[in-house]
Amino acid sequence: MLVELIARVRSLWRGVARTRQVDADLNEEFRLHIELRAADLVRAGMTPAEAARKARAEFGSTEHHLEAARTARGLGWFDETRFSWLDLKLGSRMLLRYPVLTIVGGLSMAFAIWVGAGTFEALRQLVFPVIPLPESDRIVVLQNWDAAASQPELRATRDFVAWRAALESVDDLAAYRTVARNLMIAEGLAEPVFTAEVTASAFRALRVPPVLGRALVDMDERADAPPVAVIGYRLWQARFQGDSSVVGRTVRIAGVPATIVGVMPDGFAFPRSQELWVPLRIDVAGHAPRQGMAIRIFGRLAPGATLARARAELSHLGGNAASDFPQTHQHLRPQLFTFAESVRAMDGPGGALTLLTGNVFVMMLLVLVCVNVGLLMFARAATRESEIIVRSALGASRRRIVMQLFAEALVLGTVAAVVGLAAAGWGVRWGMDLMRAELTDGSGNFAFWMDGRLSPLTFVYTALLTLLAAAIAGILPGLKITRNLGDRLKRASAGAGGAQFGGVWTAVIVLQLAVTMGFPVATFFVRRGAVQLATQPLPFPVDQYLSVRLDMEPLSPEPGADTSAAAFRARYVAAARTLEARLESEPGVTGVAFAQHLPQQYHPNNQVEVDEGAVAAQDERGHRVGSSRVDPKYLDVLGVSMLSGRWFSTSEASPDARVAVVNKAFVDRVMGGRNPIGRRIRYVWDPEPQPWFEIIGVAPDMGIRSGWGPAGIYLPLARASMYPLNVAIHVRGDPQAFAPRLRAIATDMDETLRLTNLMPLKDVVNGEVRFQAFWVRLTTIVSAMVLVLSLVSIYAVMSFAVSRRTREIGVRVALGGSPWHILRAVFRQPMRQLGLGLLAGTLLVWVLTGGTDNGVPTPTELLTLGAYTALMALVCLIACVVPTRRALAVQPTEALRDY
Amino acid sequence: MSTAELLPGTLDVLILKAVSLGKLHGYGVLLRIEQISGGALLVQQGALYQSLARLEHRGLLDSEWGTSENNRKAKFYRLTAAGRRTLGQEVASWKRLSDAIGLALAATPLEA
Repeated sequence: MLVELIARVRSLWRGVARTRQVDADLNEEFRLHIELRAADLVRAGMTPAEAARKARAEFGSTEHHLEAARTARGLGWFDETRFSWLDLKLGSRMLLRYPVLTIVGGLSMAFAIWVGAGTFEALRQLVFPVIPLPESDRIVVLQNWDAAASQPELRATRDFVAWRAALESVDDLAAYRTVARNLMIAEGLAEPVFTAEVTASAFRALRVPPVLGRALVDMDERADAPPVAVIGYRLWQARFQGDSSVVGRTVRIAGVPATIVGVMPDGFAFPRSQELWVPLRIDVAGHAPRQGMAIRIFGRLAPGATLARARAELSHLGGNAASDFPQTHQHLRPQLFTFAESVRAMDGPGGALTLLTGNVFVMMLLVLVCVNVGLLMFARAATRESEIIVRSALGASRRRIVMQLFAEALVLGTVAAVVGLAAAGWGVRWGMDLMRAELTDGSGNFAFWMDGRLSPLTFVYTALLTLLAAAIAGILPGLKITRNLGDRLKRASAGAGGAQFGGVWTAVIVLQLAVTMGFPVATFFVRRGAVQLATQPLPFPVDQYLSVRLDMEPLSPEPGADTSAAAFRARYVAAARTLEARLESEPGVTGVAFAQHLPQQYHPNNQVEVDEGAVAAQDERGHRVGSSRVDPKYLDVLGVSMLSGRWFSTSEASPDARVAVVNKAFVDRVMGGRNPIGRRIRYVWDPEPQPWFEIIGVAPDMGIRSGWGPAGIYLPLARASMYPLNVAIHVRGDPQAFAPRLRAIATDMDETLRLTNLMPLKDVVNGEVRFQAFWVRLTTIVSAMVLVLSLVSIYAVMSFAVSRRTREIGVRVALGGSPWHILRAVFRQPMRQLGLGLLAGTLLVWVLTGGTDNGVPTPTELLTLGAYTALMALVCLIACVVPTRRALAVQPTEALRDY
Repeated sequence: MSTAELLPGTLDVLILKAVSLGKLHGYGVLLRIEQISGGALLVQQGALYQSLARLEHRGLLDSEWGTSENNRKAKFYRLTAAGRRTLGQEVASWKRLSDAIGLALAATPLEA
């Protein structure tokens, strides 16, 4: 059994891989056979010429026997589906002969491949990042997993020291933690920089040498060593103008002087997007197990060591620690991953699922577009029906004819793939730029392993997409056109009509119409939502404000300072008060207000309830509203007046105040327009019950952005209970021009004060709006292309379907049919398709927009939608009218002549 | 002596039998079958190669290139172990069938 199977596979392989040799061998056998037979016949008394003729006749057609022998070897299927250079050449020629189909079909496919490859690449970068470090697959990350709390335990300085001493399968074990640090160059302004405190071994483990000076060395880690720093390439260029004598310069980092000893190469930003590296000083003696700072640990697998061996060794050490320190380490399980595994944006099944969902969307788009192209190819193939029938009559099998169409589609698809890939390369970079806010950690830089280049995997994926596209666009119409060829051969000779659009194609056309209508309309609603969000007018002059987030170094650089959380809080509140006073005394400043969230920033949304129940209908997640705690003078600084009721008094700025101000949108959406003053609201949270807040006033909408509509509430801010605080500064003149002055004031006041996200308030666009804008741009482009391509193919297919009936129309005219009846007969089918398509499209729109707040269109929008639908109907109508007019003009004698 | 057309499906087993007597090229197989059947069986010449290809594909025959009696390059077929096994089974089942048919056809009416 097995022997036979192996023999079959071997023989098949030989037949496929060495087709020519197998055929040549067989021909050789045939020749010998005929010669030997002829020799026998000569011996029996025939003349040589007669014998040769008879031998050949007895043997029969060598071509036939050759094919039979190949079929016996199981190669029949292969022969039928194999296509040659000739097929591809013919395919290319066909594409040149029908330029409109080539351009429309090619663009459609290129578009689908563009979206497909772009999506795949973007998701791959998130799910399967490739780390651009030497032998990055050997860089491993180690951590303790707290099985009891189901979270990593990062306070591991003690374990780090123990592992560094004991682990044999991991070299250069290193630790780091990421922090933001104010960097001040000479007498300049302090600006926050993304910094990593690292052990010197990190640079050995990563194997990236500096471009200037040296990396950190073990000596730098000692408590009595002079403070040093290594800077990143971008920081070097931006803040030091690429000065080649930067090594040796002294800067102040978080208020402490430090010497720059080296510059790292461009693109190096370990562990994520850091630009400054300072020594990490680990003081184990002072801490008990599971105490001290939170650090992250990594290293490089020792030469010859495997991941499995390192895991086993680490887990053994974990077991030892658990028995040595049962109090703290009983539930800790040390883990080891590769660096790539540890930075996956979406891990495990979630990541795979995202990749899959993204692909399902892409596949749907691809199938749709390719069916569309298939429709066009079918229409064209139908015009070549007689050629196909003749080929079939000459002995071409159905499979051969289908493969020929597949080859044509493949040529088209390959050209499209090249165009699509080029566009995808550009699209990924564009998309990443747009999503910068979501993909970065606030530094404005991508994680260093992300780039806009397409990976080899994406090329493979694109190749598969192209094959699939060609299969849909080539094989489907091929199968359809070659069905019942035998029957049609007979009918064709009798002069009857040929290929018709059947039920499947009708369904395809209806689907096409539905999507053509639904897709742009859905986009239109998305767009409206985003435009509303982005352009909703604010009731104050937003361009006169500067916004900034106030951060502070947790540890004071003063020797012997109090390190408790309470001390930090007191220091922070005092600094905020000082900054406020300094700013208010500036001549360029007219007001300063602190808040948890500023207008247009993202406000977290929470579910609330109103006593005696809310009036307006709520969705399945209840009434969700954004909220912000704000200074009592917030309203004055913004220069806004209340719509009704009152604002907070200064005495209400305490954590225990139980008063709230709601905005206009809250009144509309939650209260159904009723007067809310005097009613009480509270959060719906676990554990219940949450305290009630009395509504004391209604303010205008002042830019609450929660991702859940504009409804929101304001609560009084107690500064001591909130970190970090955001500040809105009302300035005279250009807010941007005041920014350096603000930095100077802060630097002068306290070097541990960090001004983050310092920008004019009008430039504050939260991630949601940004994402919406990105999504709108993407969907607009996608739907515009879908729209154009669809209209072209709907036109082509409908006009084709009608033109197929030219002869029928001519006959009807000849037989005296009234034009009205004829028109009705011709238009019935396309109009039914149009009607069904529009109906399905409406349903699609309803499904796509259902459940969002933006679902109900205004009269103007209804008008726009109506106009758009009318345009579509018009295209369909023209597609029917043009060929019908042509058909009506045909002389009846001409129409009848073919019979 | 008159010749008979082959029963469908019997060519393969005849080829196996012919080749089991010694390695042969295609034309040799044809002659051997005619010879061992006493010239009673007629083989379609071209069809022979379809059967040879099938048997080789199934691993029942093996082949190698050698030199024919007229000094030409020729492909010689040989029985493999699997082929020998198959031949044994086929011969046994053929014997059973022909015995049964022979028995059936030789039956005479029973005396009442």
